[in-house]
Amino acid sequence: MSNNRIDYILVSVLQRRFRSITEEMGLTLLRTTRSPILNEARDFVTGLYDAKGRMLEQTEYIPVLAFAVSGVCKYIFEYFGDDIHPGDVILHNDVFTHGNQNNDVAVFKPVFHGDALVAWAACKGHQADIGGAVAGGYNPEAREVWQEALRIPPVKVYEKGKLRKDVWDMIFANIRFPIVEEDIKAEIGGCVVGERGITALIERYNLDVFNTHVEYLFDSTEKMVRNEIREIPDGTYHGESIVFYDGVKEDSQMKINLNIIVDGTDINFDFTGSSPQTPGFVNAPYAATASAVLLTFLMLINPDIPHNEGIVRPIKIINPQGSFLNAKFPAATTFGNSITGPTSDAIFKAFANALPKMVSAGWNRFLGFTLTGFDPKKDKPYVDILFLSLKGGSGATYLCDGYDHIGLINCAGGILAQDYEMFEIHDPHFLIKHEYMIDSAGAGKWRGGLGVETEFRIDGKNVTGIAFGDGIEKGAEAFGLFGGKRGTLNRIELQYPDGRISAAKSKEIIRDIPRGTIFYQRAAGGGGYGSPYERPVQKVLQDVINGMVSIEKARDDYGVVIKPETMTIDKMATERLRKGQANIDEKGGGKAD
Amino acid sequence: MPYKIGIDVGGTFTDFLLVDENGNLEIYKVLSTPEDPSIGVFNGLLEMAKNQVLSISEFLKEVERVVHGTTVTTNAVLTNTVSKTGLLTTAGFRDTLQMRRGIREELYNNKYQPPPPIVPRHLRLPVTERVDVEGNIVKNIKSGDVWAAINKFNREDVKAVAICFMHSYANKTNESIAAKMVKKKMPDVYLTVSSELLPQIRFYERTSTTVLNSCVGPILKGYLRNLTKKLSESLFDGVLLIMQSNGGVTSPHIAQEVAASTLLSGPAAAPVAGIAYTSTQEYKNFITVDMGGTSFDAILVENRKPFVTTEGKVNLNALALPMMAIHTIGAGGGSIGWINEGGLLQMGPKSAGASPGPVCYRKGGKEPTCTDADLVLGYLNPDYFAGGKIKLDIEKAKETIKEKIAKPLNLSLMEAAAGMYHVINVNMASAIREITIKRGYDPREFLLVCAGGAGPIHAAMIALELEIPKILIPKESSIFCAAGMLFSDLKHDYVRTYHTIFSKDNTDINRLIGLLKEIEDEGHAILKKEKIPEDKHRIEYSLDMRYLGQYHEVNIKIKKEHILEFDTESISNIFHYEHDRLYGYSLRKEGTRIELVNVRVTAVGITEKPGLQEESYQGPDATRHLKGSRLAYLPSEEDYREVDIYDGMKMGYGNHLAGPVIIEQVNTTIFVPPEYTVDCDAYGSYMLSLI
Repeated sequence: MSNNRIDYILVSVLQRRFRSITEEMGLTLLRTTRSPILNEARDFVTGLYDAKGRMLEQTEYIPVLAFAVSGVCKYIFEYFGDDIHPGDVILHNDVFTHGNQNNDVAVFKPVFHGDALVAWAACKGHQADIGGAVAGGYNPEAREVWQEALRIPPVKVYEKGKLRKDVWDMIFANIRFPIVEEDIKAEIGGCVVGERGITALIERYNLDVFNTHVEYLFDSTEKMVRNEIREIPDGTYHGESIVFYDGVKEDSQMKINLNIIVDGTDINFDFTGSSPQTPGFVNAPYAATASAVLLTFLMLINPDIPHNEGIVRPIKIINPQGSFLNAKFPAATTFGNSITGPTSDAIFKAFANALPKMVSAGWNRFLGFTLTGFDPKKDKPYVDILFLSLKGGSGATYLCDGYDHIGLINCAGGILAQDYEMFEIHDPHFLIKHEYMIDSAGAGKWRGGLGVETEFRIDGKNVTGIAFGDGIEKGAEAFGLFGGKRGTLNRIELQYPDGRISAAKSKEIIRDIPRGTIFYQRAAGGGGYGSPYERPVQKVLQDVINGMVSIEKARDDYGVVIKPETMTIDKMATERLRKGQANIDEKGGGKAD
Repeated sequence: MPYKIGIDVGGTFTDFLLVDENGNLEIYKVLSTPEDPSIGVFNGLLEMAKNQVLSISEFLKEVERVVHGTTVTTNAVLTNTVSKTGLLTTAGFRDTLQMRRGIREELYNNKYQPPPPIVPRHLRLPVTERVDVEGNIVKNIKSGDVWAAINKFNREDVKAVAICFMHSYANKTNESIAAKMVKKKMPDVYLTVSSELLPQIRFYERTSTTVLNSCVGPILKGYLRNLTKKLSESLFDGVLLIMQSNGGVTSPHIAQEVAASTLLSGPAAAPVAGIAYTSTQEYKNFITVDMGGTSFDAILVENRKPFVTTEGKVNLNALALPMMAIHTIGAGGGSIGWINEGGLLQMGPKSAGASPGPVCYRKGGKEPTCTDADLVLGYLNPDYFAGGKIKLDIEKAKETIKEKIAKPLNLSLMEAAAGMYHVINVNMASAIREITIKRGYDPREFLLVCAGGAGPIHAAMIALELEIPKILIPKESSIFCAAGMLFSDLKHDYVRTYHTIFSKDNTDINRLIGLLKEIEDEGHAILKKEKIPEDKHRIEYSLDMRYLGQYHEVNIKIKKEHILEFDTESISNIFHYEHDRLYGYSLRKEGTRIELVNVRVTAVGITEKPGLQEESYQGPDATRHLKGSRLAYLPSEEDYREVDIYDGMKMGYGNHLAGPVIIEQVNTTIFVPPEYTVDCDAYGSYMLSLI
């Protein structure tokens, strides 16, 4: 095959193969890691990059990490220059050199063909601990990066196939839980799988053919994205959104100020004018904000476009340093990934009128709670980043109800709630309840996704809980669109053995939680789309029969009157109510919420 | 004259393969009767009897084995027509079935909708009870809750009940109590108890599998009761076996208890048939595809081993029983052609099925189908469909395609029919991409084994789409799965959870041997019940293991001696090796401890298989089998050409032809485009080769 001739079948074979290699790497992590945040919640990404660090393909279970690997790969390539050899394994987490979150530790393995560096295999996953002042990494009390984490600018842990034991030991001497060491080994295993896959491909098709076809793949992907952008009318679109409480000053609010400029086949996200960086950890590194933009943008275009370098080419992001969306060194930034929700809100709001059939109403904002302590049965310390309890509902869209129990938009439904039995095997917690929450979803012609309620007894000792998130202050409910109602609010409560009940703030460390305390969390529902009075009566009735909407809410929000004794519709009363509302609408009521 | 019969009920046709004691094969095919599939089965049996000049009773008396694959359960789940089912579950956890752990399969698609729950929330009822992680009962079962639920189930007239409580794999007492109460008050209900069906950790998977079993149970039971009754009324005294999704067969009384094992079993015999037919070829890696009237099934077979999974899904609901990893799309002869909002021609997934069927069947079909296009394009002979038993109405087909496709798209009739043919071929090629390219295999390196009545008309064009150089079309391709069933062994899978650190110090070897023996005995007992002599039993042992603290297990095959001799070293080594092979590393050197999670046994009852008969050599010249010629559409020329027609019923070993030709058999038509040649092998199969 000549080098400049493109074999179109081969391009798609390569693209699909890259995809399947990264999927296989993902499976490796899923199957071999120890921490539930990796193997159950799937908070990781696996990817392949070309010699220069350009993304060939990746499998993202959790989108927010995903679009923050290529930048690091390019940085590592520059950083080590000629000092990259077969058998090297490089670690990285530093948010001031293109990382997105301190806990997300990436492993890079260069792939060689003969003497030539031809590609990189990388795995990046959220680690159960990364040193710093508190276990688990989320530290609302942090004021600088060093109180959050051990910084790993790129460092080689293997050089030419040989373990650098001193370096390795130094890293893990600064991390609390031994499982992190095992999970990094699993990431290295994932990279080996990726290396094997890509080596086999290059040996088979030869390097020149490989490279020309990869370039073609990038170009054709870019073209697909540009075609999508062309569909959006040219113009400047403005969206705003508020992040509540910086963890330091009560009632503080940070504003996201976004202008999106669409010009032909280019799109520009400009965050100029957003609030300055905060003294606490409610700050994002550049990479986290960029990832948030990308993953939201992907929700507005054809979902089948391959994920490689070509996808990012038409997209520009202006995000001045010093804002809380691009904090300056040495700010604390662990909360950065969690600003994805508000960033997505701003994007959906900006595009609401231009792309009404594509945008979604607000998603439930993320509220997490990490528990660390001592497991008396296993006689060792434990950490649980509680992915079971935090998955609320998504926003409704044109033609579709929101997705129930989907969780934070950063993860877009890729994060799994832990299996209940595995949860109890892993942690000293006794689960009491995990069910949909009635009336949690914002009403609408299409309603928001339902939230969930979780309750369990803490049987660990010396337990500390760390709340980090949003969505508990009034005004932080998921927004409704085109007459749809807002979602509900998140809440975390601890009921102590002495009967005392206390609600957690959205960013707070709670120490000395006694054994036997009951943990309770509400992860709320998403926003509705369109007037609830237009929702078919039968759909409302079904939700009531199934205990997802109460009879009262059916009447008050949807104008549907249900007779409780027979669970049937009171047609006359319903018609009366709904007609009345229509009159108000004509007079100019029923505005977007 | 003892006969064996394989019967495969499809969406459109019911296929039969009749084998006599000398290995002579006869194919039968009748229209399926979806309202009661046993009617179609009997129509076929009647036809066979007639051909042997026997009454149905005289004929059935001579039949020693009937192997039957049924789609009644799968269709019920896919079309949401399962039996009304109630779920009893531990209070506080009634939504696990619907939540599916909160996954959205398509990350960036905000319009993605989850499947409707098999059991709606108001029939998922909580029972106060609790077993903890160690198997201790920490809350006794509150019988009032169970009685209340039973009352509600009776009021709602549910036909099946599923019981799944937390940690019941470790202690089944509470489930058993609830089961007893249900049996007492609802004696006729179909009941599945999770600790009996799948005593295996992971609450969601166990719940979903248990519910699936219940909701199709009454359907399968009713069907099998009806069928066995009819068979015994006709004096059938042989063995009836039912195809399962694990690629093995089982007896009806066992199948109806584990009804879920027949879910997705329809195409499970295809790889078995593929292995049998390719055993005469050098190919070890192949893709079997089966294009029937309604669906197109594809599975990859590497090194003569079909892909097996315990992570199956039916309509996105977890099914944790071991099964063949088959990929299915809605594409078949009955697939309906239509035009979407964007003005693009689409084929399927809706199918006209057997009733009303394609327009050309003249059974009331109004929508243009793939078969109608195949007829208009000249691939099908209107006077020789099913050997002439079904007359095809070509005028009606033309009219409908003109009206519904050509006119709105402003195309000629030929262009419209050719478009339908092309679109469905691309759809099927994509399905093959899913199981090859998507998993990192290059389809060009595989043999395509093509089956199904409609398959051989499309096989070459699908292969061309993927540049697949070789296609094998078995002579019995039209009833491929029916043939596969006769090659299947009896197969039963068992699992027990024993969660322990695997070492001489921590593992209670007596408990392990006990568990193994328990399920092995269960396997032997069932096979004995199925009248398989002990020397035909084969027991396969495997363990699900993982490194301490990992979440997911690796299934490793072991020998029984490994356990009996408590050979922890060999077992550990097999585990390290498998872990390295699958995941790129092992922790052998580090001495990381290994956990045992599940013990598994597969009990296989080896059946007697029909032998393939070698034909005598005819030589390459096939001129004497030329039947004539007709106009048929050649995609490469985008026009009709006069194409030679050969009589496939007479062609034999050694015959060689170059495309374009059409080969007609009673139940199959093979279209060989100019890009391929065709050779008949010693067993009557056709091998197409890309020029």
